[in-house]
Amino acid sequence: MTMADATRKDALRYLFEKVVGPLGYKFTPDEELADFLLEQEVKLEQDHGAPFCPCQGRTGARADDMKIVCPCIPFHREHFDKMRRCWCGLFVHKDVTDPDSLPQFPPDEA
Amino acid sequence: MRDEVFVYALSTCPWCRKAKQWFTDAQVPFEFVDVDRLKGEEQDAAAEKAYQLSGGRRYPVVVINGEVVTGHNPNRYLELLKSVG
Repeated sequence: MTMADATRKDALRYLFEKVVGPLGYKFTPDEELADFLLEQEVKLEQDHGAPFCPCQGRTGARADDMKIVCPCIPFHREHFDKMRRCWCGLFVHKDVTDPDSLPQFPPDEA
Repeated sequence: MRDEVFVYALSTCPWCRKAKQWFTDAQVPFEFVDVDRLKGEEQDAAAEKAYQLSGGRRYPVVVINGEVVTGHNPNRYLELLKSVG
C-alpha cells in the first residue's frame, strides 16, 4: 500500500465515521477486518471509481451500483438492522462488542 | 459420500475467504471462482450465474449439493453437507 493509498484510507475512515454514527452504527471493533476492508475499498475506488462494498458485486447499472457504495447502510437498512451489521462487516450497531458472534444471512432469511 | 461444493467469491471479500477457509479446515473438497479476478465475458457469465443462484449481488454464494447458501453460514453448510457432521 502506497502513502497515497494510506492517506485515502484514513480519509475514508474519517468520512464514513461522520455518516454512520447518526445511523446508529460504528466501525467494527475488529481492527484487522476494518483495515482490510478499507484497503479493498481504496482499491475498488481506484479501479472502478467509487469505494464499492467489497462483498457485493457491481451490475454495471449505475442506479444499482450506487446502492452498494460504502457506506451503503441507508439502502439496506432493514436487513442490516436485523443482522446488526452491514453485509461486509465494516460497520456494526453501536451496541455490538463481539462482531464474530453476528451471523451473515441474506435478506429473505432475515 | 462425496459432497459437491462450489463457492462463488470476490477476492476483496473477507467472508468469501472465511467460507473457503472453512471448507479447507473441514477437509471438504470444493471448487471456487473469484468472480472479480475473471475478465470480460467470463466474469459476466460467472456474475450472472451467481446472481441467478442467489437472487442478489451478495457474496459469497455457496452451492452445496445443488442447494444455495448466500453468505458465510457454517451452520447451514453443516446442514447440507453429507460427509461432515
